[in-house]
Amino acid sequence: MTGGRQTGRHERLLAFALPVATAIVVALVWQATVTLADIREILLPTPGAIAENLARTLPSLLNQALVTGREALAGFALAVVAGFIGAAAISSSKLLREIFYPAIVAMQLIPKVALAPLFLVFLGIGAEARITFAALLSFFPVLISTAVGLHNTDLTAVRLCRSLGASGWQIFWSVRVPFALPAFFSGARISSTMAVTGVVIAEFISSTDGLGFVIVDQGAHARTAAVFAAITVLCALGLALYGVVAGIEKLSVRWYRG
Amino acid sequence: MTVLPFAAQQAADTEETPAARRLPLSWARLRPIVLPLGLFLLWLGGWEWVVDRFPASRSVLAAPSEIAAILVRSFPLLVPHLLSTARDTVMGFALAVVVGVVLGSALAQFRRLNQALFPHLVLFQIVPKIALAPLFIIWLGVGSESRLVFALFLSFFPIAAATATGLAATRPEALRLCAALTAPPWRTFFAVRVPFAIPALFAGLKMGMTMALIGTIVGEFVTGQEGLGYVVMFAAAGADNALTFAALTLLCAVGLVVYGAVVLAEIFAQRWYGAPFVTEGFN
Amino acid sequence: MDTIAMPLAEAPGGDGGFIRVRNARKVYATGDKSVEALSDVSFDVARGEFVAILGPSGCGKSTLLMMCGGLETSTGGAIEVAGSPMAGPRTSIGIMFQDPTLLPWKTVLQNVMFPAHILRRRDVKYSDRAHRLIDMVGLHGFENKRPHELSGGMRQRVAICRALLNDPDILLMDEPFSALDAITRDEMNEALLDIWRSYAKTALFVTHSIREAVLLADRVLVMTRRPATVVADIRVPFGRPRDMSVAETPEFAKLCAQLRGMIEHGTGKPARRPGDGPVLQPGRLGGEE
Repeated sequence: MTGGRQTGRHERLLAFALPVATAIVVALVWQATVTLADIREILLPTPGAIAENLARTLPSLLNQALVTGREALAGFALAVVAGFIGAAAISSSKLLREIFYPAIVAMQLIPKVALAPLFLVFLGIGAEARITFAALLSFFPVLISTAVGLHNTDLTAVRLCRSLGASGWQIFWSVRVPFALPAFFSGARISSTMAVTGVVIAEFISSTDGLGFVIVDQGAHARTAAVFAAITVLCALGLALYGVVAGIEKLSVRWYRG
Repeated sequence: MTVLPFAAQQAADTEETPAARRLPLSWARLRPIVLPLGLFLLWLGGWEWVVDRFPASRSVLAAPSEIAAILVRSFPLLVPHLLSTARDTVMGFALAVVVGVVLGSALAQFRRLNQALFPHLVLFQIVPKIALAPLFIIWLGVGSESRLVFALFLSFFPIAAATATGLAATRPEALRLCAALTAPPWRTFFAVRVPFAIPALFAGLKMGMTMALIGTIVGEFVTGQEGLGYVVMFAAAGADNALTFAALTLLCAVGLVVYGAVVLAEIFAQRWYGAPFVTEGFN
Repeated sequence: MDTIAMPLAEAPGGDGGFIRVRNARKVYATGDKSVEALSDVSFDVARGEFVAILGPSGCGKSTLLMMCGGLETSTGGAIEVAGSPMAGPRTSIGIMFQDPTLLPWKTVLQNVMFPAHILRRRDVKYSDRAHRLIDMVGLHGFENKRPHELSGGMRQRVAICRALLNDPDILLMDEPFSALDAITRDEMNEALLDIWRSYAKTALFVTHSIREAVLLADRVLVMTRRPATVVADIRVPFGRPRDMSVAETPEFAKLCAQLRGMIEHGTGKPARRPGDGPVLQPGRLGGEE
């Protein structure tokens, strides 16, 4: 029976407080278990130990974050631009669509992370290899989402513009793109995560810099608290990039939709 | 005892035109298959030609014919690696399905649990979880277990999220109907919530399967012991392009087989509930 | 579970099909505001009666119906069905909603059998009954069709069968034909009248169409806007069995006009809020042309 569910302040407070409380409880249980069961720090450090390590090594970690973040951003930017252009091309030309369809499907089938060693061998272990690899990983989500979004434009709107004598170009920019924005951004958000992932994987395999390297290196030396600290900073980086994309999404939606 | 005279008329209206269904091998029906396939073969042929014509490209590429040759020749060598990757991926994915579906169902049924945990689920989706691979090595060593558990870890989140979202998105009218029929919650769950959630559920499974494979490969990169990912890394470092691409091809095959299994499971699920699956006609 | 054919005059004695509403009140609390949807509604429905609840859109008549069906609780007052207070849904009460809510992956027959399926009742009598109900509404031959292959009117007919599967003592109907086009709506009215010829249980029928109310019901309760109360309780003078021809009689038109007047005056000064539709105008109420 729907007895009248409470909406309003009580509910909204709970919706916010419950997840936060869960996180706090987990942290407390973690701290208590490790301390009471006397688990070795190599295996599982306490949240306290991690926080202490983080505070101590923060400047160095932030430097490394800059390295990783720079490359991820570059790869992401490349992917987004290329993805948008590619999507525009595919959605407007049936011929292009048919020609590239097998290539796109094939790339979707290949687990692209497996290509990391190839990039590193062929492009060296410098930033270019990592940026290109990250761009490859992030290119496809944007390409596919945007292509679908452009394709699914409301036909009545397009018909209206055609009847008013608008050119294909005008229709593209004033109707298709605004309609495709949500799809584009949904792809872009996934891409931002993939870009960071790509850089990290490349750093795992061979690098002397960046948060991925720190994680692998500290892990090899069994400095688990340092590993956790680096992971924390990396997660913050990933969230920051995602947040930037989400923020741009909000702004552009407002701008385009008035 | 027909109440309404127009019922017969409506019966006639909804019949399909028989003519449209009888053209078996027209170009219209074959085109969507033949054209991409043909173009794919064209791409392969072009690739072969490029490597042949421009020997410089051999530093980067290997011809499809070479790849095929080495696959045949070195197959016994590759089999243990193939099995290792396949085992870690499939087991990791299977366990992730069990854990993910159970957790997702729990989240869909219990509102407070959902409020407490779902935001964290979303958060974990955004964060680059791949960075935790070295942690799993610290915990579980460099053997198969650590790769398997890492694959499980990566693929569990999209499955749980998709299950929770799909089950919770049941149309309220359908739930109201079940309430009016005095159905107990668990009957509502299995008879109504689950069928409506099948498309979302399988989308999540496909995503999870991809993540399981990615997890296995990255695990193999970092543990550096065995597996097709390891072979790729090893072969690329040794500039053995043919072997690299051969291992990549096998990786694709693994991915395809597991994906195919998920698709088959989806078809089976649809038939269980009555395929073809249609969610229009709800109102 | 006996046959469907049950002439009205011989409705069985015994309990069931008897509704008492006393001072029913419903208040919704949303955030910091509270909205009084129903205020002091009282009426009785005798066994075997077909009562229409008539009123403008949004006046809370659906809420009242949901309360009678046990899908909503009342904030005040009491609702008794068959002698016991409403505490939740019952299988002895069948409900029809505005949308048919057919499950898209099930066939017509499976949809009609759904009430038995969801309670895991496997008795063969349900299957027999389902087939007879499907024949009765004129969907013979459509048992294996899926909802997406049916028109709106056909889907609602399937919904009627489903509502009748448990042989409920009471049938509650919440504007079941409002979403249909005018022609289909007339056909459905005719179908319902025909079904009532043989089925004749107690019914509460919510509508915003005066014509529909007078056509189908034995009694019409007129309700005001929010906070809603019953302002009139009119007996419809036409007997049963009834068919569409009553709509042509002068008594019909007179009764419709009378009800229309009651609705206009009954609303008095409606509390108008932004977003409310136009105030009722003469001759235009709900689905009327």
